[in-house]
Order: sequence, then structure tokens, then C-alpha cells
Amino acid sequence: MAEAYGITGKIARIDLSKEKVTVIEPDIEVYKKFLGGATLGMYYLFKEGIVSPDVDPFSPENMLQVMLGPLNGAAPNNRSVFVTKSPYGFICLSFAGGQTAMKLRFAGWDGLQIVGKAKDPVYIAVIDDKIEIRDASDLWGKDTEEAEMELKKRVLAPIEYKDVSVLTKYDMTPQWVEIRPPDPEKTIGAKRLAGVWLIGPAGENKVWFANIVTEGFRAHGRYGSGAIAGSKNLKGIVVRGTKGQKLADKAKFLSIMNDIVNKEKQSYFWRSYGTAGIGYWEAVAKSGFPIRNWQWESWRDPRTAKALTGPFMDDASFVRKEACPGCALHCAYMTQITSKDPMMNGGITDMPDWEAMGMVGGNLGYLEMPGKTPSDPYTGDHFDQAEALAKTQYTTMLFDKFGMDFIEGGALIAFLMELRQRGYIGPEDLDGIDLKWGDVHAVDAIIRKIVKREGIGDVLARGLFETAEYFAEKKGKPEIVQYAQGCHRYAQPAHGTRSNKDRNPLEYVTVIRPCEHTGGGSGAFMKRDLAGAIKGQNFEAVTNSLVICAFASTYGGFYVEDNIIELVKAATGWTDFDSDAFNKVGERYYALGRLFSLHSLRIKDPIEDWDKTFPPRWFEPLPEGPYKGARSVYNGDPEAMLADLREYYKLRGWTEKGVPTKEKLEELGIADIAADIAKQWW
Amino acid sequence: MSEEHSSESPPKDRISRRQFVAGAATAIVSAVVGGIVGSQAFPKTVTETVTREATKTLTSTATVSTTIPTTVVSTATKEVTKTATKEVTTTVTVTPTVKKTPIKNAMLLINPVKCTGCMLCAFACAEHWIKEEHPELAGDTINLEFSRIRPMRFQYVDVVNVCYQCRLEPYAEGSDKHPCEQVCPTGALHTVPEGEGKEGYYGNGYLWVDKDKCLGIDKCGRCLEVCEEQFGSGISYDPITKKAQVCSMCGGMPVCADACPEGAIEVVAPGRNGRVYAEPPEAKAELYYMKLFGVRRDL
Repeated sequence: MAEAYGITGKIARIDLSKEKVTVIEPDIEVYKKFLGGATLGMYYLFKEGIVSPDVDPFSPENMLQVMLGPLNGAAPNNRSVFVTKSPYGFICLSFAGGQTAMKLRFAGWDGLQIVGKAKDPVYIAVIDDKIEIRDASDLWGKDTEEAEMELKKRVLAPIEYKDVSVLTKYDMTPQWVEIRPPDPEKTIGAKRLAGVWLIGPAGENKVWFANIVTEGFRAHGRYGSGAIAGSKNLKGIVVRGTKGQKLADKAKFLSIMNDIVNKEKQSYFWRSYGTAGIGYWEAVAKSGFPIRNWQWESWRDPRTAKALTGPFMDDASFVRKEACPGCALHCAYMTQITSKDPMMNGGITDMPDWEAMGMVGGNLGYLEMPGKTPSDPYTGDHFDQAEALAKTQYTTMLFDKFGMDFIEGGALIAFLMELRQRGYIGPEDLDGIDLKWGDVHAVDAIIRKIVKREGIGDVLARGLFETAEYFAEKKGKPEIVQYAQGCHRYAQPAHGTRSNKDRNPLEYVTVIRPCEHTGGGSGAFMKRDLAGAIKGQNFEAVTNSLVICAFASTYGGFYVEDNIIELVKAATGWTDFDSDAFNKVGERYYALGRLFSLHSLRIKDPIEDWDKTFPPRWFEPLPEGPYKGARSVYNGDPEAMLADLREYYKLRGWTEKGVPTKEKLEELGIADIAADIAKQWW
Repeated sequence: MSEEHSSESPPKDRISRRQFVAGAATAIVSAVVGGIVGSQAFPKTVTETVTREATKTLTSTATVSTTIPTTVVSTATKEVTKTATKEVTTTVTVTPTVKKTPIKNAMLLINPVKCTGCMLCAFACAEHWIKEEHPELAGDTINLEFSRIRPMRFQYVDVVNVCYQCRLEPYAEGSDKHPCEQVCPTGALHTVPEGEGKEGYYGNGYLWVDKDKCLGIDKCGRCLEVCEEQFGSGISYDPITKKAQVCSMCGGMPVCADACPEGAIEVVAPGRNGRVYAEPPEAKAELYYMKLFGVRRDL
């Protein structure tokens, strides 16, 4: 390849079985077509046949990829994405912020593809062009935060350390030598300039919803990329890059970038509490807060939600803010837990962010006073509210430390709590753990069982729907499955569908990452403007390919289609990258993602067997709050939603069953990799 | 008169009542006083008005901007934020660029509570130095290795490493040089006296590496070793030439402090030996854990 700008034109294929690294240099047309990140990763999953249902997710053949887009590196608000086949069998596209993606670009790579399985625990060290597979036996079993601290200092670039001491007493003055002679034993290079992606014990034990974590709390959430790394005996990837990034039109790139940062600096909303700012409002204004496994979506007494508001959390626990490279939004806050309970007191973690306060805080019943329901007035004071916050933070901290997803995990534990509430199961079904609403000690015990896959934890580690089916069969009560809140056999994240002020249930059915909350187009969906929704989804798909932050783009509006196109052009020099090319990337993302999950899971009828897997609760009336009685925009009628779904597929140019047509695939230029798969449903 | 300056004033529909009144008043005054005086007074008045409003918001740098509509604060839905952002984007930059004057005997102090580890300081520093030292790359390359200020993340704390201008104490160590300067075998690392050197890059009594004399990391590395063994971590190496790099305080006008969106980098002349501030990165992180979280960690 000629001189590459933005991208580097090189992807490393690391075979852990053969301990061999090869370099792939994709054609420039491949980059232009798939851009990078999520879409480029999916292209390789199709090309290499990982999409086939015969490839077991935990087999060495499955490929774990971390992919960058042309803006990763010098541009602000950049993230990393892991692309692989999820333990659940569907597509895994899992994102997180942090510094490591930037460092991988500066090391000169567009991505890493990891195949095979190491005999013993290993980590991959990337130092510019040099990629080594190193022993990580001593780190196996350590939590994400502790292991990262250790891994970071083990990877140093040649320009930052010396393995032999050169300093002698003759370099110093005699008086100086007398009081502090040089210490030849002391190693030089006490720096932490590397970036790390790694798994915790949950990933090692192949818990299906294990995450790959970076910086202690930034998790590549959901879909189980951590379990795939664990199945390959891969503890982590450590990256140190010193080569920098080449840009086609640097001056223009910097000027757009400065514009974005300057706008970000003025955003009071993002710069004050990040997503912690929306907690109260989600409950009392939008009524989309997951409470007790979605039985409620807001509290009768607004004071109950106070514990999970930005200002309250700030007053009680925020210590400092933390940002991804180049970002002035700093949505993450480092916190310390203060509690009268010694188990929780003193723990260091992050905020909780919106998903954590929803899926862990509200969903596990942490906010209400003991013995009360969300329909009761709140009787506690600010100390009780602080305890509720502490419980949420402590549980989030456990999930992060073990490297496990708290959306699927929180939904799973809330589901078990509801089964207990309804008398379907008792402590005897959960190895003696009595899962009462709001009992943080019981939650602590069950999380530890899941991570170790001990006893019942071995069942729970396979996620919400497998657990639901296990209990339905064990108890001989098939109705149990309806309490599993989710779609496409995967847990619903913390945005409610019933009030129609937060999400339209159709959004969760149409997204290609099962039941994701960041698919874009939510506003249009709620207005049943399906064309607008598709535009929003395609936009989000492009940002996922670039890979830039949804807070800065879809939600913050600092990146819009125009400046993204200009940025990509300035970075890469692709003069033909226009609005049409931009939208086509989004369409490819949606076509490939849909086909991957349908094919990999051997779905016979996409509508009946896949799209109709939503829970009845979506259409039941809300019991409390400003939208009491609301039953989604479809007013409790799933058929109306399915009619909209058919309309949606039509607008996408897909078949009635929601499969891209031959013409569509040819138009998108992906017929060569996808037509053979799609034709089974034509 | 007011037509002449319309390009500098905010768009018509954005002018607040106060700005309009102030502007109009100045226009009347300047019409009386006369051409030259008036043309200076007009933008100045506008600047002051805007500045007073802007102090309510988060502006910390020299760029003055209008306040964000308060709707952003209370209603932050996806849609509302989007529309609100459109309003936010209309920035009004009225402040004329103030000529910076170099500060002598200054050093950089980093506030670990304010710092978010966003690395904008390092991006600015690297950009500054690539222009000076590798002009052939400056047109198309961004490389953080040219930065003299190096943020390092220790998960929940960020440590920003930079030269703290340590000096040896003559009564105890027999020299008042910088330690790295003292151990440099070729005299490459030296202090450029006040009044000499290139403006905005080095001089004014700050450290500077003579690249022709420096032996580089492969042959030497004494400055790095003494810094990390006994002081902090202020020395880095050029990834291309492998020669030492040290903060020269941009000759007393540091670009990193201007780039910081949080106001976490202070340029101060504390009048004491900088070595009291210096710690190696992990020690600094361990101290920050004590300060911020009240825990002792062994990193």
C-alpha cells in the first residue's frame, strides 16, 4: 500500500496456538467500504467463516478482534471495539473508552485479530512493530484493576528504559556521592505509558457476560468479549506505541478537532455529572427507570430517586473526574464509597453511570427503605439515601473488578429476586442465598458464585435466558421465562419502553447488537418516524465504525455527519468519501450484523423465532409515576409494533422477514461475503 | 462606526440587551470623542460585557464565549441536547490576543484534583516541539513522544510528569546545577541563560538539550537515570533521534497550560527549589491515592 494516512494499512493476526504473528494488509477499498471498527471487524468474521453456526464461540477458531477506525489516535472522543462471536452465539460488538486504542494506533496498527488458544495464560505485548506473546500465569485470577497496574509497568518502549545502569559516582559531585550514591540495582523506567485491555476472573472462567476492561472501570460491556479472551487463555493486551499517526491534511484535522473540543468545553450538562446527571429525571420525568426487574419504572415519591442524582452523588462521593484522550466532556467520575457497612466502606470505584444506577441500583431494589415498595412514600433521610448510593457503587465495583457486565448481570439477579418475590424459587435453589430486594450481602454472595462458577453460579454464568429456562424446567413452570426482561434472548438495558418518553420497544427489536440502548434514532422511534430512526441508526453505526464516542456524537451532538465526513477526509485523504459513502457504511453494518446473528444461531424464521422474543411486560400498564397506565407507543398492542417492524424492514430495503435482499447486498457491495448466507431466507 | 465592527460583534439575534445598550452607548460616546479613540473603545466595551457574563460558566482560557442557554442544564434529553447544542455552537470570540510575556524562574504545578488525564497538554506540547525539531514531519504527523509533559494513568489517579526544575543544594551536594545537567557527560543538557535562546521554545534560564552533543539513550541515559532514581520523571527521548528531551518551559510561555481545559496546570514562580515537588510517577500516584482516597497502595 502506498503511504497511508489516518489508517496505517496493517492489521496483526496473532495465532496463540502456533505463537505466530502475521501482518495483514487489507486493500484500500476494504477500508473505504467498511471504514474500520465494528464494520471492518464484521467483514472479517464473514470472510473467515466465523459466522458459520459450526464455529463454537469458545473454540480456538473463533476470532477476537480489536479494531480501530481512521480517526482513532489523534482525534478526541475515541474508543475501542472488540468484535467477535459472542458466547451467546450472536454478534459481539463491545465498546469502551480509555487510552489504549489511541496507543494501538500510535504503535502503527489498525487492529489486532487473535485466533487459536494458548496452552498457558498469556498476555500480548505490542511495542510498535514488535508483538510478543508473554507468560501471564502469575496474573491469572487477579482482578482487573490490580492486574492492569502490574501489566502496565511490564511493557516499556526502548526509548524509555535502560536495563543496565550507566550512572557512576564519577558523574556526580563527591559530596553528592557521599550522601546518595547511585544505586545500580534500581531499575529505570518506572513509567506507565502503556495501555491495557484485560479480563478479570469472570472472563477467565468464561462467564458468558464477562467483559474486557481497561483503566479499572471502563468495560467493553455486554455480549461477553471477556469470555472469548478467557477461552483463549488470554489475560490481556498491553500496548505501547511511539510512532504517532500520519494525517493527510493535518491543519484541517486540527482545526475541526479544536472546534469540537471548544464546543465540548461549553457543555454544562456533560461537564457536570456525565450520565449521572440523568438519574432523577429518568425516574420522575421520563419514567424509564428499571425498578425491581421492571415491575415499576418510577417511584411514587420523587425523593426515593434522590440517591442516584448527579448532585447528590457528587456531594456524597465524587473525588475527581477522568477523561479519555483529547476529551473535554470527562463523563467519568472517580468515587469512594462511604458506608456504615464495613464490607462496602472505603471501596474505590467510578460513579455509577446511568446503566449502573439503573440495572444495579433501581433494578435490585437498593433505593427503597427496607420493607417498602416503590409505591410507598420514602421515609428515610440523607444517610439512608447515601447507603442506597453505597450499595449501588459497591455492586458496580464488584462487577468491574471481576470483569463482568452489570447490565446482563443486574437483569439476571433482579430476575432471580422477582422469582423469589413471586414464590417460584427460594434460598434452597440458590445454594442457600436468600435474594431479597435490596439485600447487598446476598447480591455480593451470588456475584462471587457466578464469577467462580460454583454451584448454582455455573448455571447463572450462562446469562439471563439460559437461567430462566433452567428454572422453568426445574420447577415445571414454563411461565417463569416471561419474567426474563429482554429481547433476542438478551437482557434489556436501563431505558424503559412503556412511557414512550425514553424508548420505543421497536428500537430494541431492530438493533443488531441484541437489545442495545445506544443504537441511535430513539427520538424518531418514539415518534414512529421510521425513516428518521433508520437514519439515526445508520449514523450511530458509522460512529461505531470510526470508533467514536456516542456521548460526543449521537447524544452530545458535537460530531454530526458533516464534520465527521470532513474529519475522515482530512485524516485519510479519501476525496470520494461523501454523504452517500457515509450512509452506506451504516447500511452495511446493519445488514452484516443482522445476518450474522440469524445465521450463527440457525434461526429458521427471523420474525417468529428471533424478533418475537420480547417480554410481555413491555405492553403491560405502568403501575406508578407520571405515565401511570401507559403501555408503550403501541398502547399495549404487540401486533401494532410488528406492523411497524415490517414497515421498518421495507424502508431498509430488506425482505418481509427482515433479511437484506440480493439487490441490496449487491448495491452495498457485500454480496460476495453475505449473499450465500442471506439466500436461505429469500 | 458600528457597521465597521459588525464582524467582531455577536450575530444580531444573539446580542443581549445589555450588550446592545453598552455598544450603543459607546457608539454615541465615540462619535463625540472621535475616530481613533472610538474604534478602540467599541470592541473593548463589548469584551467586558461578555466577560462578565462568561464568568458564570466554565471559561478558563483566553477565549471568551457566551453563556450556554440554561435549557441544557435542566432538560438534557437526547433531542433537546441536540437542539441546544446548536445554540451552544455560536461562540463569540471578542477578546484580542494578548501578547504573552515569558515568566522567569517559573515551573509547572499540576493540580491532581482538577486534572482529568485528557492529555490535551501533551498533544499541545508534542505539536509545539515537532514544529521546532522535526519540521519535515510537522506537516502530517501527530506523535505524543515529542511531548515533554507526559500524563500517566494509574487507574483512579492521573500523574502528569514534567520537569520540576530540581536543583542540587550547594552546601550538601557541592553544586547548584540541575541534577541532570550535572551528570551530563558532554554538557549537552545545559541551562540557557536569561535573555538568550529562541522565544517560545527555550532560553530565559531554562534547561535545554543540545542535540549535537547529546549521546542519546543507546550510549548514555545518565540524565534519565539520575532523574528517575533520585527525583522525578522529567526526561524523555526523541523517538527518531533517540536524543534526550526536557521541558524548557517554552522559554517561560508554556503551551500546555494554555491547552488545559480544566485549569489544572499552573505556571508559577514559587521561589523555591523545584525538587520538593518532584517524585517518580509511581510514588506520586501513591501519594495521590493517599490524598484523594485516603488509602495506601503499593504500586
